[in-house]
Amino acid sequence: MTTEVDALVLRYLQDLEGELRDLPANRRQELLDEVGEHIAAARAALDPETEAGVRTVLERLGDPADIAAEARERVGVQRPPVRPATPWLEVIAIVLLVIPFAGWVVGVVLVWLSRLWTTRDKLIGTLGGMSWVLAGLGTVMTSAGGSRAVGSAPLGPSETSLMAVVLVAAPFVLPVVAAIYLGFRLRGRDAAASAPPS
Amino acid sequence: MVPAKRESLITQLRRGTLEYCVLALLRDQPRYGFDLVRSLGAADGLVTSEGTIYPLLSRLRRDGLVTTTWHESPSGPPRRYYQLTSEGRRALALFTTEWDRFTDAVDHLLRQGGSP
Repeated sequence: MTTEVDALVLRYLQDLEGELRDLPANRRQELLDEVGEHIAAARAALDPETEAGVRTVLERLGDPADIAAEARERVGVQRPPVRPATPWLEVIAIVLLVIPFAGWVVGVVLVWLSRLWTTRDKLIGTLGGMSWVLAGLGTVMTSAGGSRAVGSAPLGPSETSLMAVVLVAAPFVLPVVAAIYLGFRLRGRDAAASAPPS
Repeated sequence: MVPAKRESLITQLRRGTLEYCVLALLRDQPRYGFDLVRSLGAADGLVTSEGTIYPLLSRLRRDGLVTTTWHESPSGPPRRYYQLTSEGRRALALFTTEWDRFTDAVDHLLRQGGSP
């Protein structure tokens, strides 16, 4: 008999705990303690303690969901917002984009697999991730142009070295720029998605 | 206009006043949760689910209007007693004054339709 009643009370408190899970831990514990004390005091006032009596005590306390709703309102906790899940694919793509060589290639592939970025975003990401191809082509053409040195004026030594620096640096700098841009696009999307409906 | 549903009407009236009813119950003596809740429940229409008082008490404590202390109970484990702080007393006094003015004004309108 007592164990049945205890199980009833335990189940009620477990339900309440479940309903309160989005509250800060200390508030949740406080409420569970107080409601638990209420039940204990109410049971002590029952003479004799019957299962029907304890059921009435729990009914008068009310639906755990109602208590939790009140708690959220009084504590000022919003109902858990429907947070967009962390876009792991996109995060990994951004990280890979700034890792030289293999990362550039795989990063670009992941960028195209994403459904969160627009085509324009993806093209910018690709341009960043694939800038080593452009730089490679540029290097080949520069050296070819330099060796030919027919027709157009040959480049001076300082221009050549400046060009070389740009061509070497571009594959490392542009992916970072593209990654930062894609990150911003992702954040913009999150802010728009979590804005409260009017 | 659609006639106001009784439930939601009472809910709205309750919302702003319930915490002061709690403070009023604590004006003369500290009470433990169960005692406080049952006294509130005895007032018609004030409390539908007794458990919803506890989030309110938690709020009042955080706002510094109420404190809790533990006292031995004649039967069973020690009990958590709620009592008014001086700030709680001030809040209750302020509410009482404003409430009197407010209900006078509303009563006047309800009874006489605002004619002098």
